[in-house]
Amino acid sequence: MAETLRRVLTRDGAAWSGEENTPVAGPPLLLLGAPGSGKTTLLFAAALEAAGEGQGPVLFLTRRPLQSLPRGTGTTRDPMRLQKIRFQYPPSTRELFRLLCSAHEAPGPAPSLLLLDGLEEYLAEDPEPQEAAYLIALLLDTAAHFSHRLGPGRDCGLMVALQTKEEADSGDVLLLALLQRYFPAQCWLQPDAPGPGEHGLRACLEPGGLGPRTEWWVTFRSDGEMMIAPWPTQAGDPSSGKGSSSGGQP
Amino acid sequence: MAAVLPAVVEQLLSEMAAAVQENARLKFLFGSSATQALDLVDRQSITLISSPSGRHAYQVLGSSGKTYTCLASCHYCSCPAFAFSVLRKSDSILCKHLLAVYLSQVMRTCQQLSVSDKQLTDILLMEKKQEA
Repeated sequence: MAETLRRVLTRDGAAWSGEENTPVAGPPLLLLGAPGSGKTTLLFAAALEAAGEGQGPVLFLTRRPLQSLPRGTGTTRDPMRLQKIRFQYPPSTRELFRLLCSAHEAPGPAPSLLLLDGLEEYLAEDPEPQEAAYLIALLLDTAAHFSHRLGPGRDCGLMVALQTKEEADSGDVLLLALLQRYFPAQCWLQPDAPGPGEHGLRACLEPGGLGPRTEWWVTFRSDGEMMIAPWPTQAGDPSSGKGSSSGGQP
Repeated sequence: MAAVLPAVVEQLLSEMAAAVQENARLKFLFGSSATQALDLVDRQSITLISSPSGRHAYQVLGSSGKTYTCLASCHYCSCPAFAFSVLRKSDSILCKHLLAVYLSQVMRTCQQLSVSDKQLTDILLMEKKQEA
């Protein structure tokens, strides 16, 4: 899943449009960030990216309808792509469980990407670790079932966004450890600034396994458009990117 | 003919020795869970539940008589030991039920049960209700 997000962040759009071979979904990815750090925007951009890959539909789960479509990250907001994103709004944890447990009963083509925004809202209702583990395990199981339906050589990816708190208590630490057990790939959005007077976010993508860590510099224009650039330290010396993991990542 | 029998016995003995070694390796890796998991496999306590959709899950009848659900695609068991030792304490990598599922997959000793898609939904949802 990291690959779809990497494409969104790397944004050399044209090179990726359609002619690529079916991409491998890769391990499930957890997107972490404080309120307003652009998680939904990135998730939505990933949905558009996946919808443009000539694969099955994309299933986007979130507690309530998006107020407005995120301004995007430069991804073409082609109506054909938008049509392939199926939004569903489970209003409670119970309804989310119901949706995941009965995912194999849903008719129609299996999604090639399953997205969940605002996991913290569903977990807040019942913060027991085992409950959280079952919810997450069911998300993985649902994606695995969709992969099975897609047939050999095709996988359904999974990407979940979780809002982090500024000061994590012991329960949050436990929850994070639990989540990391199930999500080998992670992307962190952290407030940071590469130079004085600049405000923005550092996006760190850890693709899981042996893949290198990559970082980007994310800012929002006044109209809400997300601007993404490679993290400055990497620009001059590409090899330094892999070793720069001292960046205060939790 | 006389030479054949000792050869067969020798072969059997070396296979048994390999099995004992495997057993010891399992115990080294998984501690007491290994014996308990092998016991569950012996008693055929593992059922693979599948529905026409292709989705499936495992149910393990624990030694206490309680049934636990294990997911087939990822590491999850609904038993208290999984919640405590694996999730909370990170003392173990898996519980005896999950180990029993993996062993029975290798040994092909699962019981098989076919249910309707709706029934599988209920089985997965029931797990949630039991916890609540």
